[in-house]
Amino acid sequence: MTVIDTISQFLPLLLSGAWATLYVTSLATVLALGLGLVLELLNGSSLAPVRWMVRTYVEIMRGTPVLIVLFMLYYGGPSIGLVVDPVPAGILGLGIYGAAYFAEIFRAGFQSIPRGQIEAGEMLGLSRTSIVLRIKIPQMLRLIIPALFGQIVMMFKESALLSIITVSELTKVATQIVNETSSIIEPYIAVTVIYWVIIEAVARCGLFLERRFSHGA
Amino acid sequence: MEFLHIAWAYKEMLLVGAATTAVISGASILLGMPLGLAFAFGLVSHNRPIRLFCAVYRSFWRGTPLLVQILLVFYLLPSIGLDLSPVTAAVLALILNTSAFQAEIFRGGLSAVPKGQVEAAQMLGIAPITIRRRIVIPQLLRLVTPAITNEFISILKNSSIISVISVTELLRTGQQIVSATYRPLEVYGLIAIIYIVMNLVIAQLGRRAEARLARGARA
Amino acid sequence: MALNGQPRVELAASDREVVIEVEELTKTFGPVPVLNGIDLKIRRSEVVCIIGPSGSGKSTLLRCLAFLDPYTGGRVSIEGQLLGYKQQGERRLMQGHRELAKVRRNVGMVFQHFNLWPHMTALENVALALRVTRKLKADQAEREAREALSKVGLGDKAGNYPSQLSGGQQQRVAIARALAMKPHVILFDEPTSALDPELVGEVLGVMRQLAVEGMTMAIVTHEMGFAAQMADTVVFMDRGVILEQGSPDEIFKNPRNDRLKQFLDTWRTRSF
Repeated sequence: MTVIDTISQFLPLLLSGAWATLYVTSLATVLALGLGLVLELLNGSSLAPVRWMVRTYVEIMRGTPVLIVLFMLYYGGPSIGLVVDPVPAGILGLGIYGAAYFAEIFRAGFQSIPRGQIEAGEMLGLSRTSIVLRIKIPQMLRLIIPALFGQIVMMFKESALLSIITVSELTKVATQIVNETSSIIEPYIAVTVIYWVIIEAVARCGLFLERRFSHGA
Repeated sequence: MEFLHIAWAYKEMLLVGAATTAVISGASILLGMPLGLAFAFGLVSHNRPIRLFCAVYRSFWRGTPLLVQILLVFYLLPSIGLDLSPVTAAVLALILNTSAFQAEIFRGGLSAVPKGQVEAAQMLGIAPITIRRRIVIPQLLRLVTPAITNEFISILKNSSIISVISVTELLRTGQQIVSATYRPLEVYGLIAIIYIVMNLVIAQLGRRAEARLARGARA
Repeated sequence: MALNGQPRVELAASDREVVIEVEELTKTFGPVPVLNGIDLKIRRSEVVCIIGPSGSGKSTLLRCLAFLDPYTGGRVSIEGQLLGYKQQGERRLMQGHRELAKVRRNVGMVFQHFNLWPHMTALENVALALRVTRKLKADQAEREAREALSKVGLGDKAGNYPSQLSGGQQQRVAIARALAMKPHVILFDEPTSALDPELVGEVLGVMRQLAVEGMTMAIVTHEMGFAAQMADTVVFMDRGVILEQGSPDEIFKNPRNDRLKQFLDTWRTRSF
């Protein structure tokens, strides 16, 4: 059986897998972005213990394989009476893991804005909120677009690991097809191509936005 | 504490698992390095087909999930008559994967070596191959050390994925201990701590290497 | 170090052999013409200073003499050999790096930003080409490299890395690096423009010494004092052409071209 045969025969299954991949990754990304921003704002707190906790969280996540985070949620949850279905466990796992990376990206973005600009704003009597909203965030967004999209691409790739905790996304679908047919390699090639297309599209989106926002750089 | 009991009871298994993870990741990074360097030079080559080929290679290995890459290598090679052990297949997949990431790192480093230094060498009649070997590559190593350190950490973490083709590295060791103890939280927490410690060590080694290579830097 | 070339005082300039000959040289970057028909002869032991406003094409001219920027029309010959191209029937093909290296074997170059290799000591910077291009043995290369460093007054800095040297010292190492190859001509591309004012003197001092010893030199510079004092010929360029060339006296005391007069006026005003 050729790759084309595999695709045409199992098109609905592949499409449902692709949809699941898009769905869980999007939700996880939204969760990670929000949590990441909260972490970064807490990191700017004047309370040292708060900052210390944020740093610890970020370092723990960045030092641990995402697969372990998923296993702890999915297999470890029940042992403390917390039964999580595969899909929410996967979204939650990818989300809290990605949040640490997004927090680092936001931090680098804020740090890259020259101190002098903030001082100039302060000397002109701008409030702290307007400095954040009108000076920091617009510039930061432009600066962090490449890193932001790099991390989103990363989350798409990590979402393949949800197949290990039985979420029926693309990779899982490939395994299912392997089990149903005699072919071993074609289903994997098919889903590889689908991943490649999705991820290339996301990366192109990032490049497009980067160019859109690059004026005044 | 249950946590410490488990660590003590399974200390040998854990050590072997951690060592396996360290050796597999280290080997992948080291073996991927010459390949990554070659692809980096390919990416800046004057030859269009070579450039295109390297760009597609980089895009593929950076643009698809490592899990799928591992499965592809593991199942594809036997189907073309190459029968590899899971460990070999895993290392091969990790090498191919990291070589694409390292290619991009080295390419960035290449563009950071000032063009004037190469011109000065050309004016002294130094052959292109010698310019690369004596002038560009030694500086490249210094420029890319932080990024390579990060790549090492990322490969160490990602090597946990090869547990799916039943390579008994650190994470799979954890799974085995879980099935014996039914203590997933404690065991995976323990495994996570071992990964974190190994990553801290790599980060520290990276900083040392950077400091050593920095001697005589900054023109 | 023995420098080739005869004592310059004894021969009339026009009798000496031509080291670099430039004929109808043109250079375009895409559609933009940068050099527009340059003719120039540089003779043995001659010191030619090229001056002109920024963007006049003087640095590009010098880089074309080294073929670091390929010229698009006309020809540059180094001691009679065509630089950068080879004639194949009607067509002109670019030389491979070996042929190119052969033609410019006797051309040294000193850059505005020194372009030392930061991971090598001063000695290693000077010795590398002696090893790999001149194929000297390690001890012989080291001896000659030390000699070259002593000549620029840095014999005691051989073991220093570029980052441990001042800008002026770095540029002197760069001169030693070029000098050690025993070139017949050295091209200087704004050698003092990247230096703090107090460091300019030491570099000009080394160049002055080379000139006195008979080295053939082409120098793109903003140092009018140096040009007036040391040049045999001063070339004034603007907008990609040579507008006037002559002795320092002719150029600085009796400029004929209006743009040259204007350029010198601006320079005088600025230096007060």
